[in-house]
Amino acid sequence: MKSGSSGLTTVQITGLFLGIFGLILPFLLPLGTLSFAGQIGLGIFLMAAIFWMFEPIPIYATSMLVIFLQILLLSAQGPMYMDAELPSGEPVELQENTWQIPTNALKDDNTVLVVTEPGKTEPVRVDVVERNGRHVIVHSEELSADQPIVTDTGHRLVNYQPNSYTDYLGTLANPIIILFLGGFMLAGASVKYNLDKNLTRYLLSPFGSKPRFIILGLMLVTAALSAFMSNTATAAMMVTVILPIIAQLEPGDRFKFGLALSVPIAANIGGITTPIGTPPNAIVIAALTDYGKSISFTDWIIVAAPLVIIMLLFAWWLLLVLFPPSVDRFKLDIKGKLNTKPKAIGLYVIFAATVLLWITENQHGIPSSMVAFLPVAALVTGSILNKNDIRNLPWDVLWLMAGGISLGIGMDKTGLAVWMISGFDWGAMGYITLILVFALVAVAMSNFLSNTVTATLMMPLVISLHTSGVMGDSFNLLVTGIVIAVACSLAMALPISTPPNAIAMSTGIIRTKDMARIGVIIGTVGVMLILAYAVFYWPLVTN
Amino acid sequence: MERSDIYILCIEDEQEVLDAVVRDLEKLEEQFPVETANSAEEAREVIEKLLDDGKKVGLILCDHILPGDNGVELLIELHKDERTHDSRKVLLTGQAGLDDTVRALNEARLHHYIPKPWTREELLEVAVNLLTDFVIEQEEDILPYMITLDAEKLSESIRTRRSISDE
Repeated sequence: MKSGSSGLTTVQITGLFLGIFGLILPFLLPLGTLSFAGQIGLGIFLMAAIFWMFEPIPIYATSMLVIFLQILLLSAQGPMYMDAELPSGEPVELQENTWQIPTNALKDDNTVLVVTEPGKTEPVRVDVVERNGRHVIVHSEELSADQPIVTDTGHRLVNYQPNSYTDYLGTLANPIIILFLGGFMLAGASVKYNLDKNLTRYLLSPFGSKPRFIILGLMLVTAALSAFMSNTATAAMMVTVILPIIAQLEPGDRFKFGLALSVPIAANIGGITTPIGTPPNAIVIAALTDYGKSISFTDWIIVAAPLVIIMLLFAWWLLLVLFPPSVDRFKLDIKGKLNTKPKAIGLYVIFAATVLLWITENQHGIPSSMVAFLPVAALVTGSILNKNDIRNLPWDVLWLMAGGISLGIGMDKTGLAVWMISGFDWGAMGYITLILVFALVAVAMSNFLSNTVTATLMMPLVISLHTSGVMGDSFNLLVTGIVIAVACSLAMALPISTPPNAIAMSTGIIRTKDMARIGVIIGTVGVMLILAYAVFYWPLVTN
Repeated sequence: MERSDIYILCIEDEQEVLDAVVRDLEKLEEQFPVETANSAEEAREVIEKLLDDGKKVGLILCDHILPGDNGVELLIELHKDERTHDSRKVLLTGQAGLDDTVRALNEARLHHYIPKPWTREELLEVAVNLLTDFVIEQEEDILPYMITLDAEKLSESIRTRRSISDE
């Protein structure tokens, strides 16, 4: 996050140049087996990763740039591939099993690429008999006179079948993005008609006035709302709830630290609960769905909710131990009255129907993304949201996610993802160690980077571990994906870790060291819990 | 606390009164630098210089009785100037008659009228409220202002305007 004032910081300028350098770097290095398209993909990946880290441009802008570069450089209709044709020809048989082929058809490792089907080639080993200028005489039993071979092995179409540009553009209408659109519109309408505040008021009332239960109530309500709304909007609203409570405390009272920390912690954790809770979930679900491992709304809740509840209770306990309440009771006074105008009632009905249909996906089988179009259509049909409300939706987040999904498609398609995991003996690591390492890396990275970006950068690795099969049968794609999604949301040690953290910190109530201490404890305990769930619980509920 | 580029401008011809205003605004000065002027003429110069430097005038506290053009005339002029149109404008005076006050309300969209004598709490509250509105309306990133200004109102604006989204 940076200030609105113009001008880039030194870090941002460094990032800008590093990113541009990253884009061309793959063409300056010998990268062995990586295809030409893979080099382009790697350049885009490096640029995106650097831009997302240093933020010389906003993170959603990087996402849009990724899509632009992909349609330009990788798509079948882009200038790079639009007229491209794989140069191929039949080998000339001189004697039995002795062939004359063009010099460029022979790779450095003495293989020839046989075209098996359009866009697909298979390397065939040959013995070089004689080189004479433009041709090579080779000996091989596997070549045949009617099977074409690639006559230029350095060509940009070797090992790459470009997909249509619409695949990259289409990520904005990916079902998971539409699911989020539905969620955003429900959330936008809830804010417009103050449903979020009124729900908070009703939901908090059973928790009474004892400080420890008020904190518990605050955390549960924050988590419940942020499971369906943006974590940031929920945290911002909850800050308006806790500020009057904190004003009732003595200036030196340490209990205020606990109160002010409870909101971002619960908002961050709450996002894990449902597919629409937070953008990293979308990145993971989109990638899993592409590999036939779709997970229903209901199943996601079954997977995530038990972990969310334990983490919330642990965080509650931790806050009470570190910052024990000093007073006996509080006055909790949230102003407001339930809006009973027809449009507001319409919203309540649409909200309830949508959420009900979402969480019962397993019972009726209608995909949640289809259900998501119910609020999209109904809220505008009923004029509950107007043109301006539609314009004010967080389109930046939708593009951020679309760019992330698109980057993943490109990395997979160009063979980049598989190339990146090659050269390391993953199988020797063991599945459980792998889960632990992935969870740790995700938590560590997303403390500094956007959660969505962390998921975007890690998911292609998970996918290629699956497709390459290097991990053997023990590898569970679905569980590993869930590990990434959950771990990304458990990073909350720094003000920059998540927007809810930034909001809570900016109130000036919390000290950075308290946030860091609690964030590190939650991250560590979270990783342990993820490991336990990944080994014992998630395999049982996902088949 | 980081200094913002939003300035507070106090215009008052009596140096003692001016000093008192500046002293009362001390809590805000770290983030919102305070500039002073003794006349409308000087105020215009100060504003020109600030705007040339790319700064913003967030809050103008102005006495009515000034040498040369009076306070109400100055505020009307600043309201018409698009560069200071959005600045929050306060008349801090004991001597403005009804006619002048009505003109200030109608033609300068006066945001607040503080009669003399004022209390420090009153002045601070008005300044914090008006600067909060200014920041919500004008600034892209409002988080840096949560500590000094009205955090509740700023959080509420994050909730409704969604200037910050999940990442």
